[in-house]
Amino acid sequence: MGIINTSRIKSPWIMHFDNSSCNGCDIEVLACLTPLYDVERFGIVNMGNPKHADVLVVTGPVNRRTARVLKNLYAQIPDPKMVIAVGTCACSGGVFHNCYNILGGVDKVIPVDVYVPGCAAKPEAIIDGVVLALQKLSKALGVAK
Amino acid sequence: MIENIKEIKKDELLAEVKKFADAKARFVTAVCNDLGDKLEVTYFFNMSPGMEMHGLRMTVGKDEEVPSTTGIFLTTVLIENEMKEMFGLKVKDIAIDFGGHMLLAQDSPVTPMLKTGAAGGKGGE
Amino acid sequence: MAPRTVAPFGPQHPVLPEPIQLKITYEDEKVVDVVPAIGYGHRGIEKACELNEYPKNIYLCERICGICSCIHGISYCEVVERLWPIDVPPRAKYLRTIWSEMSRTHSHLLWLGLLADAFGFESMFMQFWRIREKVLDLLEMTTGQRVTQSISVVGGVRRDIDDEQKKKCIEVLREVRKESEALINVLANDYTVKARTVGKGVLTKEQAIALGCAGPHLRASGVKEDCRMQGLQAYGDLGFEPIVEKDGDCYARTLVRCRELLQAIDLQLEAFSKMPEGEIAVRPKGNPPANEAVYRAEQPRGEVFYYAKGNGTRNLERLRVRTPTYANIPSLLVMLPGCELPDVPVIVLSIDPCISCTER
Ligand code: SF4
Repeated sequence: MGIINTSRIKSPWIMHFDNSSCNGCDIEVLACLTPLYDVERFGIVNMGNPKHADVLVVTGPVNRRTARVLKNLYAQIPDPKMVIAVGTCACSGGVFHNCYNILGGVDKVIPVDVYVPGCAAKPEAIIDGVVLALQKLSKALGVAK
Repeated sequence: MIENIKEIKKDELLAEVKKFADAKARFVTAVCNDLGDKLEVTYFFNMSPGMEMHGLRMTVGKDEEVPSTTGIFLTTVLIENEMKEMFGLKVKDIAIDFGGHMLLAQDSPVTPMLKTGAAGGKGGE
Repeated sequence: MAPRTVAPFGPQHPVLPEPIQLKITYEDEKVVDVVPAIGYGHRGIEKACELNEYPKNIYLCERICGICSCIHGISYCEVVERLWPIDVPPRAKYLRTIWSEMSRTHSHLLWLGLLADAFGFESMFMQFWRIREKVLDLLEMTTGQRVTQSISVVGGVRRDIDDEQKKKCIEVLREVRKESEALINVLANDYTVKARTVGKGVLTKEQAIALGCAGPHLRASGVKEDCRMQGLQAYGDLGFEPIVEKDGDCYARTLVRCRELLQAIDLQLEAFSKMPEGEIAVRPKGNPPANEAVYRAEQPRGEVFYYAKGNGTRNLERLRVRTPTYANIPSLLVMLPGCELPDVPVIVLSIDPCISCTER
């Protein structure tokens, strides 16, 4: 197991899912992957398939229709997994928290490990969030980082 | 004040919309308003080419049926479905009928845009 | 007859950053039918806007969409100003124009990057997004935020651009123009790009009008319509001319956006040189009166329509927003049937879909 756990922490694969966000945080997540911030230099790769992912990055508040999709994706990610809620509205619902079609933050539906506030969350903050998630993960696995 | 709005009756709707279609106008959108016991629907068209806008306005009772304009402008399909689910406007024979669940999910509140609609609290506080 | 297969495209799909689902029926490789299933992004902002007081709605309207948020905020302010009506000071009009064009620049760069990504041109994607960061830095410098700027208030704008910032903006914009020109040259003349876009998803002029399309999508089909032609804000002084292409395919749409990108930068540079001195905001008196107003502005994705109805209180009676993608989705029903399955992502992307806008 040693090598798998080490590579999990050294090169986490993330998957991004957009609930019903305003796009602001989505494009900031994408911006993290592009040359100025370039998270790929830390071994972080963006994946389209939940079965390959270690970290689920969720943006936007959960609405009544995406709740099912989100639960489904969460169930498809193999253990151990981490969930990062990016943006104020993924943390708590933000500006939309009382709208009729919104259930609230991501933690209403699936367990969240790291919260990254900000509307929109800055790419630096998102990278910090991923680093924090990896520290949590390495603690849980008992691997020194 | 909005310029160029023509008040019409419900039965004239299709004929009037047809006139815009014949004039090669571009459908912009429709707006539904809750007036208490009635609904007010305004259709907006852009006279292409150019930027001049015209409107057709009709007032209907909340339980009256309204003909669908999707036979003339296919693009009204989204807005008619939306008015149907948000305001409970009874539109007949829409080309693609989402059955009241285009935007709203199965467990969302029904007709939330009506003034009496139980729509949770006020968002954004 | 070949057997038919139904495949869902989305709601979580690598080319689409946003949730929309298309139920695609296909025979062999040919698409025969498409049904869009939307609603994954519906929040209920229109209702929230009725329940909140009118100055607060700016923040809600900006969050209809994070990419064109600046123009959403400005359009909301403009429509509410029309209820009184309030006349905005000339400098504020120029500032609004500059920020609108700046967000158009970043949005078109974003889209060109996504398009390159859709057919696997990864390095081009990275290059466009690298340039885009420079524009975002300008936005951050002048407004204080990268994405949701909240720069416009009812009656004017919240901040001024001073001379030092102006100099920096002009310098960076010139740089951005030069770099984008070089990239556009590659994108527009590349053999593979042409193979994937020329003749795909054709929409004729008549179809585009009948389907009520908006924005670059409409102009790529040869219709000369652009809300900036109304000459509002500072566009009247800047001598704006819409950009039109004739072919109506994915390639024409790409070209329209490429040329608009360069035009947007030129408009900003011109606006900087003509900007008058003076006040940047006036204070609205009392509450929005009982009146109705509509306002149309050109967003990066097309025409946005705002309708507001006041009732003399601090809350609005009704606010309706029709966003450009709302008008462009029906055209997918015409463009997709008959195309090959691998072209679906490119055609869907060519309307520049913005789902959170559409569903509010
Ligand atoms: S936190 Fe703000 S910017 Fe991010 S998705 Fe939510 S509303 Fe948009």
